[in-house]
Amino acid sequence: MKERLIFGYDPFVLPFLIGMIFIIAYLLVGTVRIILSLNNNEKKQLFRIFIPVNAYKIVKDIILDCLLHVKIFKRNLLLGYMHSSIAFGWFMLIVLGHIEVMLFTPQRNGIFYYPIFFRYFVMETEETLQGAFFFFVMDFFLLIILSGIALAIYKRFRSHRLGMKQTTKLRLGDNIALYSLWLIFPLRLLAESFTADISGGSFITKGINDLFHSFVSNPANTLPVWWAYSCALGLFFFTLPFSRYMHIPTEILLIVLRHVGINATSLRDGYSEAEIYSCSRCGICIDACPMSFEKKDVKFTSVYFIRLLRRREIAEQPADLCLMCNKCVEVCPVGIDSTKLKLICREINNGAISFDYTPVKYNSPLKREKLLYYGGCMTNLTPSISTAISKILDKAEISYVHLDKDQTICCGRPLLLSGNLKGARELINKNREAIISSGCTTLLLSCPICYKMFKEEYDLKGIEVVHHSVYINNLVKSKRIVLKKTTDTCVYHDPCELGRGSGIYEQPRELLSSMMLLKDSPLQNNESICCGGSLGSISMPFAKRKIITGGSLDNLLTNDPDLLVTSCPLCLKTFTPLNSKRTADIAQVVSEQMIN
Amino acid sequence: MVSPSENLNLNNMYKNVLVLGGGVAGLQAASSLRDLGYRVTLVEKGEKPGGHLNNWDRLYPGNITSSSVIDGYLSNSQGIRILTNTTIKSALKSDKLLTVITSSSEEITVSAVIITTGFSLFDATIKEEYGYGLYNGVITNADLESLFISGKIHNREKPSRVGFVHCVGSRDDKVCNRHCSKICCMTAVKQACEIKEIWPETEAFCFYMDLRMFGRGYEDLYYEAQNKYGVNFIRGRVSEVGEDENGKLVVKAEDTLTSRPLKISLDMLVLMSGMVKNPDNKALSAIFETSIGEDGFFAQPHPIVNPTGSSSTRIFFAGSATGPKSVAESVNEAKSAALSVHMLLSNE
Repeated sequence: MKERLIFGYDPFVLPFLIGMIFIIAYLLVGTVRIILSLNNNEKKQLFRIFIPVNAYKIVKDIILDCLLHVKIFKRNLLLGYMHSSIAFGWFMLIVLGHIEVMLFTPQRNGIFYYPIFFRYFVMETEETLQGAFFFFVMDFFLLIILSGIALAIYKRFRSHRLGMKQTTKLRLGDNIALYSLWLIFPLRLLAESFTADISGGSFITKGINDLFHSFVSNPANTLPVWWAYSCALGLFFFTLPFSRYMHIPTEILLIVLRHVGINATSLRDGYSEAEIYSCSRCGICIDACPMSFEKKDVKFTSVYFIRLLRRREIAEQPADLCLMCNKCVEVCPVGIDSTKLKLICREINNGAISFDYTPVKYNSPLKREKLLYYGGCMTNLTPSISTAISKILDKAEISYVHLDKDQTICCGRPLLLSGNLKGARELINKNREAIISSGCTTLLLSCPICYKMFKEEYDLKGIEVVHHSVYINNLVKSKRIVLKKTTDTCVYHDPCELGRGSGIYEQPRELLSSMMLLKDSPLQNNESICCGGSLGSISMPFAKRKIITGGSLDNLLTNDPDLLVTSCPLCLKTFTPLNSKRTADIAQVVSEQMIN
Repeated sequence: MVSPSENLNLNNMYKNVLVLGGGVAGLQAASSLRDLGYRVTLVEKGEKPGGHLNNWDRLYPGNITSSSVIDGYLSNSQGIRILTNTTIKSALKSDKLLTVITSSSEEITVSAVIITTGFSLFDATIKEEYGYGLYNGVITNADLESLFISGKIHNREKPSRVGFVHCVGSRDDKVCNRHCSKICCMTAVKQACEIKEIWPETEAFCFYMDLRMFGRGYEDLYYEAQNKYGVNFIRGRVSEVGEDENGKLVVKAEDTLTSRPLKISLDMLVLMSGMVKNPDNKALSAIFETSIGEDGFFAQPHPIVNPTGSSSTRIFFAGSATGPKSVAESVNEAKSAALSVHMLLSNE
């Protein structure tokens, strides 16, 4: 392999070269801006990338997420292949191009355009046999990319074939970038096939060279195609900052920031900026969002919320509407915490609202027990649950104190989710004081909303916080209560705050399976659909909630169970009026199935 | 069976009309049609005609007993064929006739149908926070009427405080009922006065959102309730009901006039369960090709100028099949529907 052109230059490289310099400069400035916007503490945290464990995690995540798109593979094979073929294939072409330059024309090392247009500048020599390996792998990866591009084009028209009911609507910048991306690789194939008989090629470049010999052997056609290839690349780089493809470089930065422990604290700090630009608008969150049951509400899903943020437009409406069920975060292949961003939006708008929460008081309990039960507001509205709990505890002969039997002080989560941190803090302090002074060692909760709150926002050292689904399951396992079997079948609804929010999926299922046949629903565990009752939304009207409840019920009742069981009082209250079958809390079911 | 033909000028004697539902609207419609000379079949799915009035003690204004209203209809029901424990399975439409097949597989050919299937009482267990079915002291308006009818109310220990919760299952998006059930305000006031008549020393509290005293004489009873009986009216919804160690009900509400949360111990709490759609409406609407509103009640194409007309020529509505109504309104509508049937059939 040796150089064909003495100067190693042709004007057609200019579009690419200028585009490349532009994008590198843009990214450098962007990265510096993001790093500068970190506060001093966070800047210090950046040095943690030198800790080997962190470095390992960062590299691993970059390979798995940015190149191989493993998370998307897990959702849908074809969709995963589409993303990873383009990303990984392109990456390999660049790497291999550089290796070729290093091996065959080391004097051109460091010239930006040389590895990209390598085939144009070189010709085969007697060493070809050595180069044939590269011809093959280069063609192989090009083929992989082309198959990915073909899938991408197909997906634009038939997204459901790739496991997506709906895909993102694009705007001008996205479209130009998209079309130039689609063009890059077919043009590269064509361009390289021109020179396949000069600089070598393998099964596809050579093949095309043979097939269209009369066209590609005409030297007058060569340069225009290389120009076109270079222009497509240049155009892509120029539109990159205005398109969703900014996610390609930004995601790497996001992974770094995440692994050194930096988190979003405002809408435009370094981390959230990186999150916003890391969104590839793949649209996976659209199908996941319960609001997408209504087509006109797709505009409120996270992908569009983040686009509003990126354009610095007003994002208040989607932020307030969101149910905060966290499913979009769960399925996001980039791991963008859009719920947190929405929460920050709300803090800006609602943080100043102030009420007085001081008048409510707990009656001081007459006895001290190791077990303290706190039902919370929602359980006080569903007395069947607290009644069932007291029956179960009595049967297991466990004495306990019911902290809020008479009146309850809210756990603070609704205020926290509405963005009023100050108000939430006030409630947290009041509850915390009462719980600690009760001298309990275990805090039993019925409401997953409270559970998440007590677990994460209360500093209850030495006190075990446990949800009743887990607690009762342990009672059964330790034979403190014995359950009989029934022939009824049931389906279990994962409450957002217990499942995705706290990672409790198995214990309630184990408990139910010990009493009856537990049926599956198509979307369950972390894919479960919010019941629609979530107090996470500030502004969602009942009409919209009803549609979501209906959609969630349809999913749950797919396999026609006799009973819908959940472990959240709010889900129970939301499903009951609309469910034609019985809805029950897991504690109710247990209290009915207990053998004395 | 004689089939009326257009060429024969048969009088009404030979025209059959079906009335579906034996509540007060159905009974009135049937008797009006009979009086106009039609052969009427009244189909009732329950064991006896009378509908919700069978379980109601007294009606206001006038304080007449429900049983006297029903007895009045039944003692004058000769000429009306009443089929109880019967429902409609299907209907076949031909030019000017409808052939209806009942659950006992009888075919009835009629010229018109009046749907008087009424309403259902809201299932108060859905509003779990009020504790119906969980606490002994919590009953519904219908339960209280049953206690009045049977006289068992006198067997109960005298309560020191009784509460009445308005709008249970009405005007409540959370249980998917946005509509007002119209008569519960009046029922609550009436029942509060009745309780005070039985136990004058008992304190009575009505928890309301708005008091909709729309009928003649209703406002008068509201004044009487306050001035004569001393019933307390608290503007605000009940948020939750609990039970203390002594079995007393602990009711939490908001007094919106003083902007303060309120907690009160009661011995008895009466829930004004609202009127909701009859669950059979959907199936019946499919059989008779009529339409149903978002609230599940039958929908009239012209509710203002033709409140008893449906989208099918030979199908009419009367009573609370088309939304919550008082007894008086249902009676009126039944007469109106009978007249509409007569105007249609007498011209054929």
